[in-house]
Amino acid sequence: MMRKLATSLALAVSLLVFCRPMLAHHGNVAYDEIHPITISGTVTEIVWANPHVQIFLDVKDDKGKVVNWGIESQSPGILHRNGWNKSSIKPGDQITITLAPSKNGAPVGFSGGNTGKVVFLDGRVLRMNER
Amino acid sequence: MRNRLMCWMVVLAAMLSLSSPSLARPGQQQSAAKVPAAPAPKRDLSGVWQYQGGGGAENMTAEEDMPPMTPWAKTKFDGERPGYGSRAIPGGNDPILQCDPIGFPRVMFMPTPIEFVHAPGRVLQFFEREHEWRPIWTDGRSLPTDSDPAWYGHAIGHWEGDYTFVVESSGFNDRTWLTPAGYPHTEDMRATERYQRVDHDTIVYNITVVDPKAYTKPIVGRQVTLKLRPHAEIEELPCVWSEENAFAKRIREPAAAKPTK
Repeated sequence: MMRKLATSLALAVSLLVFCRPMLAHHGNVAYDEIHPITISGTVTEIVWANPHVQIFLDVKDDKGKVVNWGIESQSPGILHRNGWNKSSIKPGDQITITLAPSKNGAPVGFSGGNTGKVVFLDGRVLRMNER
Repeated sequence: MRNRLMCWMVVLAAMLSLSSPSLARPGQQQSAAKVPAAPAPKRDLSGVWQYQGGGGAENMTAEEDMPPMTPWAKTKFDGERPGYGSRAIPGGNDPILQCDPIGFPRVMFMPTPIEFVHAPGRVLQFFEREHEWRPIWTDGRSLPTDSDPAWYGHAIGHWEGDYTFVVESSGFNDRTWLTPAGYPHTEDMRATERYQRVDHDTIVYNITVVDPKAYTKPIVGRQVTLKLRPHAEIEELPCVWSEENAFAKRIREPAAAKPTK
């Protein structure tokens, strides 16, 4: 029983450690990895390239103005291992993406690690957590 | 806030599911027990291995555990502007941002996999990062005494027993950073690595770096684990200047720019 309790506590602590910094291990200080955001819009371009695949999408801000966001993700190799290929996201797709936004307010960010994900209108999900 | 709430709910659910005996069926405990990995093969590191870290580029040891620097190293360190670690700033002058090779030993602490290939007279490390090969000679040669400095140095290896591969290396140029936090090194740097295959799926990795012109004591890397990934393949991850440059202009530089308001 004590052993089970100890295991539970250890798991709880590790989950808390995992949950708090969210994307922090990516380590790019330009991004607010503690406060990820989720945005939705229409994909305008995919750059399938090293060092980071880039996803550009038009997003309407709260005043209805369309802003083109540029989001860096993982390398193509890491995304391959997560089941992606260069056709996984195409211009015109409607997606919702979770990302760490830039700290300076520019419409750029990083989506990757355990939190980053892309959700399509039909509910399909692409993740980036497998290394 | 919402994420934190979700995390607490997951934590609570995990504690309840593990603590409550009423939820466990007879025999469930045994089937859920971790199956021990098969024994390690002798003198064999073949395969694709994954560094078990936090998921990003990491230092070989915590900054507070780095030994004191010499005046030369301190001056150089103070002039660097890393994108990682306690002095991290957006942008910065990390050499890899202009596609300089990441070099050794920094490449060992990356989230991308490494393949080990045994060939006659050598063991080859094939890094996904930069798609780079590092030969470790096992044909009995010594380290060159007057070699041309190289990004990945020169390396020789031998087995201690059947499960520990020991690698000595030297002959590095001084253009790479030792860690993403901007620590320098000189061309006199030497490294000793120990790859201990503790079971079929696991290598325990230790490294010690000695560089008396830069550090007053050896740098002892934290012990890390590499896990075998039988189905993974090394993918391309070269640094291509045209791609790096386009990426920097469209995303990295806007992210690092000072706020206008």
